[in-house]
Amino acid sequence: MSDLAIELHGVGKKYRYFTLDNIHLELAPGQIMGLIGPNGAGKSTTIRILLGLVHQDHGEVRVLGHRMPSEQVAAKWDIGFASDDMRLYEAMTLEWHMNFIRSMYPGWDPAYAQLLLKRFGLREEQKIKGLSHGQRVKATLLLVLARRPKLLVLDEPTTGLDPVARHEVLRELTDVMADEGRSILFSSHNTQDVEQISDQITFIDRGRIIDSMDKEAYLDRWRRLRLEVPLGVTLSALPGIIGIRQAGRLAVATANDFVPDLASAYVNAGARLQCIENMTLEEIFVANVEHSREEVEA
Amino acid sequence: MSQSVVQQLIVKDLRLHRLHILLSLGCGAIALALLQIRSEIPFVVGCVWFFISLIVLGSMLPVSNIINEKKKQNLAFVMSLPVSSIQYATSKLVSTVGMFLAPWLMLVIAGVALILGRSDIPDGFIPALLILSGMTLVGFCVIAAAAVVSEAEGPTIAATILCNSTYGLGWYLVIRNPAVRHDLLSPVPVWSSYMLTFLGLELAVVAVVLGAAYYLQSRKRDFV
Amino acid sequence: MDGNFVISQSDKRPMYLQIMEQIKRRISVGDWTEGQTIPSIRQLAVDLQVSVITVKRAYLELEREGVIVTQQGKGSHVASTPGLGAWLQEQEFEQHLEQAIRLATLLGIRPRELQGRLREAGDRVSEKEQTEKEKV
Repeated sequence: MSDLAIELHGVGKKYRYFTLDNIHLELAPGQIMGLIGPNGAGKSTTIRILLGLVHQDHGEVRVLGHRMPSEQVAAKWDIGFASDDMRLYEAMTLEWHMNFIRSMYPGWDPAYAQLLLKRFGLREEQKIKGLSHGQRVKATLLLVLARRPKLLVLDEPTTGLDPVARHEVLRELTDVMADEGRSILFSSHNTQDVEQISDQITFIDRGRIIDSMDKEAYLDRWRRLRLEVPLGVTLSALPGIIGIRQAGRLAVATANDFVPDLASAYVNAGARLQCIENMTLEEIFVANVEHSREEVEA
Repeated sequence: MSQSVVQQLIVKDLRLHRLHILLSLGCGAIALALLQIRSEIPFVVGCVWFFISLIVLGSMLPVSNIINEKKKQNLAFVMSLPVSSIQYATSKLVSTVGMFLAPWLMLVIAGVALILGRSDIPDGFIPALLILSGMTLVGFCVIAAAAVVSEAEGPTIAATILCNSTYGLGWYLVIRNPAVRHDLLSPVPVWSSYMLTFLGLELAVVAVVLGAAYYLQSRKRDFV
Repeated sequence: MDGNFVISQSDKRPMYLQIMEQIKRRISVGDWTEGQTIPSIRQLAVDLQVSVITVKRAYLELEREGVIVTQQGKGSHVASTPGLGAWLQEQEFEQHLEQAIRLATLLGIRPRELQGRLREAGDRVSEKEQTEKEKV
């Protein structure tokens, strides 16, 4: 039996207006995977299939060695799940929720829970309905973090949080990494967070996985080449170049599979190389999505 | 370990509905107080109030306990716990029916005690009381099952309206039987075959409805 | 063993390079001495709030350059090379020189001109330092 934290093989799910197709995903223990993609790409559906809350039409799902959704109860003992559309009971206090979770899970760490209350600036005697949005998100995360689960699955954990709160949450997530037996999978619109703390990045668009790999290797494949193109020279799209934008004599070539030869090739073709820039994950995200949209329209 | 999760979910539901339970017991108590008064009009009012309490309680509980958990997006929180869809349905049905059953039992037992205690009400009323009250319990099970399976307000409200409107018919079918009317006045409770058939019917409906709920719940593929 | 590094979000260079640079700087100023134990990959990742894989890459590159040594199961430490600190400072200087030359080539400045430009720059720096001294 493999000891991957998460395995999805050939997973598919068909809805009326949306299809999740041929999803392959693997997460080794002790790693963090960031799931990014536009709205409606299928991140939340993939996460729900992971947790056994949605039954896939075909394909195999294994989480912490358990088959999903049939063994979801066993798996959920060791999984901490929080999503941005999850709500706690408005009429009850945070303390009530903490006691509720505490009575259910043997792994609850009361000292850590108290520390989190302090770090997140929450008061347990407050009712949920009296909390702001950011405080609710942190309260939900507290309930999941204090259990110290083996696997954390988080759907948009920092969405809607102010910069301080985001920093507080990221700190706790990276603290989890001190234990190499624990893993995290999180989806986020905040590409900066994903870029910073993920070991693996998975990119989903329109129900398909576009890329899933080691973050450093992934960032290394993308470059922006700024070129000066003299009159009479045309730049062709070489393999490894995903797109070229030209305005007058200045051109920008975006490479998604960069090798230094690409730059030399353009220089040999007559262009002058101004610089080769690394790209942030956000820039990669936009380039990727725009490119796949263009491909569909073509 | 998972069994205690179901138990904890049931306890959680009861805690969330503390106020609701107290109010319904209060209404029932008022009804019983009215029944103590030995004059006709308060007695009739008491009777009607007795049954209305049960019906109102029955109408509000499934929506409040079952439908709202989904509407208010608490369902994702609950399903993140180590519980399967069937276990969740079990906890919901047990807590919902339990919350209705407790006051129902209290009121029915109190009603039986009242009949036994008062010399001006013949004990023959007891089977009728049980059968007629039983209808509200059966109706409640139907509504709760509809709520768990449909997870939506529409079908639940439809089931509620359907059940509420058949109580009257049910009561009529019982009372119109001349033998039943005769047995009402008997000094001892009489269980005629007609009444026993009715009782059997009520139990059968509960069994079928709950069975269907479990079957349909087990066929669901998407829980959230 | 602290991790008072700062990873800048606005710095366009990859994070692993920033980490490498800051480690080298620590060694070159003498905060971390030759042979001294340094935080494990995982520990530094937690302290910096960055992914383990980024720190791993930084450590791998540093090991390749002979700056640190990582032993399986024993953690990592600064290489025991004597004079490492000074050597790193030299290296940084060389890198700046190479960068200047690369930029010069892009701008079309020829190697012969480069010497003259270097002398001019040296004079400018001395002038500025003189002015600063006079102010005080």
